Amino acid sequence: MSAQTGTASLPPPESMRGLARVRLRVAGLFRDPNPVWMRELRASARLQRTPVVLAVTTGMMTLLICSVGGLASIDSEPAKVGVWLYHTFFSLAFTLVAWMGPAMAATSIAAERSGGTWEALELTGLGAPAIARGKLLGALTYVVMYLVMLAPVGGLPFLFGGVTALEVLLAFVLLGAASILSVTFGLAMSSMFSSPALAILVTLLVSIPASIAAYLGLGVGLSFAANNLWHGVLAGPPVWLPTAYTRADFGIEYVTLLVLVPAVFVALPAWLFHEITVSNMAAPSDDRSTRLRVWTLVTGPFLTATAVACGVALNDDAWFVAGEIGLFCTWLFVAFLFTGEPLGPSARVQAAWQREGAGAGRRFLGPGVMPASALLLILVFGSFAALLVAAWLTLKTPDDYQGVLAIGGYAVSFLVFVTGFAAWARARSRGAGVPRIVLLGVLFLAFVGPWIAMAITGAFMDDRAPLVAAPSPLYAFELRKVMLGTGPERTLAVFAGGVACFSWTLIGLGLFAMAGVGVERRRAEERALKAKLEASIPPEAPHAEPG
Amino acid sequence: MTKPAISVRHLWHRYGALEVLRDVSFEVAPGEIFGFIGPNGAGKTTTIRVMATLLEPTAGRVEIDGIDAALDPDAVRRIIGYMPDHAGVYERITVREFLEFFADAYGIPELGVVDAVIELTELTKLEGRLVATLSKGMKQRLQIARTLLHDPKVLVLDEPASDLDPRARIEVRDLLLELRELGKTIFLSSHILTELSDVCTSVGILEGGQLVVSGPIGEIAQRLASQHESRAAADRAVTRVDVPATLEAPAPFAPGTPQLPSDGAATSWASPAAAPDLGPGAGVTAGGVAIPETTRKRLKLRVLGESQPIVPMLAGGSGVLGVEAGPGGLIVLNYVGGDQYVAEVVRYLVTSGVGVVTVEPERNELERIFLEVTRGELT
Repeated sequence: MSAQTGTASLPPPESMRGLARVRLRVAGLFRDPNPVWMRELRASARLQRTPVVLAVTTGMMTLLICSVGGLASIDSEPAKVGVWLYHTFFSLAFTLVAWMGPAMAATSIAAERSGGTWEALELTGLGAPAIARGKLLGALTYVVMYLVMLAPVGGLPFLFGGVTALEVLLAFVLLGAASILSVTFGLAMSSMFSSPALAILVTLLVSIPASIAAYLGLGVGLSFAANNLWHGVLAGPPVWLPTAYTRADFGIEYVTLLVLVPAVFVALPAWLFHEITVSNMAAPSDDRSTRLRVWTLVTGPFLTATAVACGVALNDDAWFVAGEIGLFCTWLFVAFLFTGEPLGPSARVQAAWQREGAGAGRRFLGPGVMPASALLLILVFGSFAALLVAAWLTLKTPDDYQGVLAIGGYAVSFLVFVTGFAAWARARSRGAGVPRIVLLGVLFLAFVGPWIAMAITGAFMDDRAPLVAAPSPLYAFELRKVMLGTGPERTLAVFAGGVACFSWTLIGLGLFAMAGVGVERRRAEERALKAKLEASIPPEAPHAEPG
Repeated sequence: MTKPAISVRHLWHRYGALEVLRDVSFEVAPGEIFGFIGPNGAGKTTTIRVMATLLEPTAGRVEIDGIDAALDPDAVRRIIGYMPDHAGVYERITVREFLEFFADAYGIPELGVVDAVIELTELTKLEGRLVATLSKGMKQRLQIARTLLHDPKVLVLDEPASDLDPRARIEVRDLLLELRELGKTIFLSSHILTELSDVCTSVGILEGGQLVVSGPIGEIAQRLASQHESRAAADRAVTRVDVPATLEAPAPFAPGTPQLPSDGAATSWASPAAAPDLGPGAGVTAGGVAIPETTRKRLKLRVLGESQPIVPMLAGGSGVLGVEAGPGGLIVLNYVGGDQYVAEVVRYLVTSGVGVVTVEPERNELERIFLEVTRGELT
């Protein structure tokens, strides 16, 4: 039932199995829409500036496209004008989505907090996931409204030729995907702040450079790589991906690079941002961990599969190395994420587990820095093992494989250290802020410190160089290079790398063990304090029901 | 014993090293309006947030209708209506849309609930108005309406009348009384003590994170009076001063020898013990023992005809600290005693042939209790 739409509940079907259940759910989406979404739409509809902003944006875009078209058509054939317009329009539309989407979403949750409506909403029992979903739908509707308004202008390039109608349509689909990413990012940022102004500022400070980097790197940069693979795709123009779908040859590379990789790169971050939003909206005593842990658990195999697929499809050690770098960065980020874990489940969470008869698996995925770190270690070992096995089976020469092994081995040992250090730092502090900053400082020192030491000691030019640089994870690339050669410098480099890997692993496991002891001690202290305070509580007197 | 609607037992809470609540315990019976009073920083909002399931306490237990607020927050949220201090509203929707939104958010299965709540809270004329255009009082009324949508057993209202003008306060007060009639238990925090004494059946006073006193207002006053009596008795034992019988027990009124001021004008009289100042907090007994503020009371009587002849009739009576006559048959009696005492005074006057028109006890009992039990300490 929805009071907002004035629709009554559907009578329950005779059977709640199979199709009937699905049908009821689909009907429920229309008859009982998300209340937060409905309210956002009602409020937006009353905002007088919305149609004005929409009209001005569309008008300006139209004028801009007409100007570009006019200038381009002076000495170019219509097909080239079409290509010009296509790239200009979708570049601008991407900017609009990448900047406006997060900025608009950034105010959404922060405004509830600053406006004093959050607690009332929280106590309705709607739940953080439903509220986050409503906010997401509200912000997405707003962005999609812009895209719909701009659609006629976006269709102009197709009339000139040079691009097909399908390519225009695909570009809009990809813009929609970018909208989901940008809006979920904005909401995740919004969920961290209580001030809308601050939320917008920080969001834009992150999203503007990130979108420019994505435009230049994934747009302009990757267009050359795409042109190498598929000559039909133009090298240089940024909006190459929609054209690649129609111009690339279909095969395993097509499926891997144009379907699997974009899907993973949009779906996994968007899902992560959504889970971060839900987690930040939940109360500190609630279970804020399980959903993020599930994301991690699913992301591991998906990313590994994508990395393996890329390496196998292209049969190139460079792609395996790229996969290793991707996994390394992901797990590094997850280590940061898990530093925000509480020491253990709250009394509320434990009571909920008891009520619901939660098993060991569910409890393992629940709040607690130690289970989180243990899961990370399992995923690190599992993902790199899978990738290395795939490389061993795929790559033709042992040297290629050894290069992949060098980087993979170093990455695993360093990630063990990072996981152990993050857990140890969390076990010693009250919140997540300090351990994250300390971890960042340690990472900076580990990555850059050895190279600075090498510069200071002047060891660049002599045999000591590997020994000084080996503690830096960047040394893994040096290791990969020397793996291809022979001679005494190879032996020394491998020895230094091996010692560094062994040391990182040993330190990491030691810190992990210390973290376990520290967490147990602090939890015991908390329990003792609670017991001491509650010791004075007399046994509850029985209350008789009246009458 | 009936199960309490709210039970707070040995509640402790710490923010890091700062201890904001220390062993707070009280109970609120079903159907009561409980006033929660305390200076700024006393820990009122922390207690309320624990009750509203928004905060897990460091130790102790809070049960709403028998359900532990920390362990089963979802169940508690279904039976409480919580209005936070300075709660905000969605400005760009109408009153009806606001309530419809919350009805959907609560998952209320009937469409008519919003209409019923609008009618109950007398928002019918405003239902089509944008929330942004409402006055503060109306917004507060809307907030209360919002808390009623899911028909909660317990209402937890944090400063519901803050920033409201007198009319809006009266409206909110009347609404609370109406809700009490409907069987709701209301937990109310406020700084406005006179307002609380108008509506509350019992109160709890919090200071420095500790509950200094709780219970029905009259009972607290009685308790404090007894404490002062014990203290006074102890003082007597030590100092061997003569203390009027009025402080030994809340004796019924008995007329004494009429006393007239030296100038013979029977316009006012004050007992030598309380002279020269009859203002609050200044009284002392003949033995020099201070008469506490909680035990000194003022009663306004309006009688038929002139009030001056009545003054000698009351002066010198047991428990009488002073009598003043005013225009229009007004008599202000300063006394020590309880409700029984007032009844005795009225009966004495009536049987003496005095036409008593109105009897108005002074209504600052809660203020006096508050001032006496708190010291202005912050946590």
